[in-house]
Amino acid sequence: MKESPQEKMLEEALRSSKLVAGGFMGTDSRHPARVIDEDWEQLQKCGFTPAQTARRMQELTDLAAPGLGNWLEAVPGRLQVKSEDFKGALVCPWSHPGLFAKRITTARRMDTGDQIVWTDLNLHMIAEHGFFEGRGAFFRIEPADIVRILFEGLT
Amino acid sequence: MPASVLYFFIIHGVLTFPDGSLTGHCTGSTAMAEAQKKQAVLRAEPAAEKTVNSRFCKVTINGRRELDVPAGKSLLTALRDEKILVPTVCRGRGICGVCKVKVLHGGGAILPTETPLLTKEEQRCNIRLSCQITVQNDIAVEIPEPVLSVREYDTVCTEIEELTYDMKRFRFELKNPPSMKFVAGQFVQLLCPRYKESSEAVYRAYSIASNPNDNGYIDLIIRKAPRGICTTWCFDYLKTGRSVRLSGPYGDFHLSDTDAPIICIAGGSGMAPFVSMLNAMRDIRSKRQVSYFFGGNTVRDLCLQEQMKIFESVLPGFMFIPVVARPAENERWSGQTGLVTEAVQRQFKDLSRHEGYLCGGPGMIDASIKVLKGLGMPDEKIYYDRFA
Repeated sequence: MKESPQEKMLEEALRSSKLVAGGFMGTDSRHPARVIDEDWEQLQKCGFTPAQTARRMQELTDLAAPGLGNWLEAVPGRLQVKSEDFKGALVCPWSHPGLFAKRITTARRMDTGDQIVWTDLNLHMIAEHGFFEGRGAFFRIEPADIVRILFEGLT
Repeated sequence: MPASVLYFFIIHGVLTFPDGSLTGHCTGSTAMAEAQKKQAVLRAEPAAEKTVNSRFCKVTINGRRELDVPAGKSLLTALRDEKILVPTVCRGRGICGVCKVKVLHGGGAILPTETPLLTKEEQRCNIRLSCQITVQNDIAVEIPEPVLSVREYDTVCTEIEELTYDMKRFRFELKNPPSMKFVAGQFVQLLCPRYKESSEAVYRAYSIASNPNDNGYIDLIIRKAPRGICTTWCFDYLKTGRSVRLSGPYGDFHLSDTDAPIICIAGGSGMAPFVSMLNAMRDIRSKRQVSYFFGGNTVRDLCLQEQMKIFESVLPGFMFIPVVARPAENERWSGQTGLVTEAVQRQFKDLSRHEGYLCGGPGMIDASIKVLKGLGMPDEKIYYDRFA
């Protein structure tokens, strides 16, 4: 299908380094729509939606905030979280209004040591656009890893 | 498209303004045509040719400065073209909400693209995003005075000093103009050029860490942010001897002109404005009581401790309290531990006479405000420079 001018602009914004160093697509040559679709399918196989995933990540970000950069236990003995603030702000490549603080949240499984990191902008892009970034991008999160680290065996 | 429809659009596209009013050019055009006819009869020779397609509008700033701006330009661009450097993060895409100005008249109605970024109070006061206003008629705006004194500076990076594993101090010698007048607590924007990991030049804001009385150079304390366009450039590409453009000074974070005792709270590169303030206090031999709480997660997050000891020796009212949240097992640390806000609570029971100065991330600022208010500090005595 032919891309609309808006889609072209969006893809350019995602691939370029205009908003973040290295861009949002990493080394992924797939079309952003395909990245979103395939991640959605991957999540669906695990029994989750992007909205559910973003909600859980937001909960953990909120839990981590009072630690001011220090590890806190989100699930005692199982899951640790911390969030760190950096100077500056990010904007949504889809041109949603507003600024997203450069806050980086890390969640770490205490049993395996596996961890994932995300920014406030990631939360927005997952919740609003189902976008987990392209493969090779700095903050790319595999949907299956989110499920494995943030959900499995924690309830 | 039928001709009549096309005609409709031309008439309404050109001759009406966003606020729905007709232009003076439109209402005055019949009279003007009559006058021109009369002049044509009287003239023996045709006047010299003059293309008048470009219409200019007057932009009045703070009631005293007037700019002639070609119609159709965004107000933000028009101002920046005249070196009035209204700050922006998204470079005029209407998504960051930083480039606010107060419109006194003209400028049309507030656009739907602006409303999510303006509070109800701002909308009531006709605060607008300058990037979303297209100059189509005369406009009068109010811009904060400090923004009018913002200039661009050509500098050379002369020193780079490693402060911690993820923080560096950069010194920029001012070349043109050769000095910058600023108040301790203000910030500059650094122009990060295009480079391998960034396809566009971008400005990023950093607090000034140098002494306002030594105004031939600017020190910045920068913490490396993962995937940060500008911090990546500063840490991995910027070398001494390199030319760098700064603009500034910006911001209204500064010490009040009172004798009230002070609590300062910072973490990471939030150290910068306090170094500048302490330098300025040293120069006037200030005896003001200052308790400066600086928080790090581990000992290796602390920096400039030697410099703080020097300030303690020359400023009789100054006390530096480094706080380490969780010292690592191999770190020998005999100072305060826990969160920086907990250290404040341990040291003070009543802050109703104090002023609070905070610099750091939103999480730390919010937690500190809660603690300071809980200890009786009035809202209006809490000043902060929040990252983002």
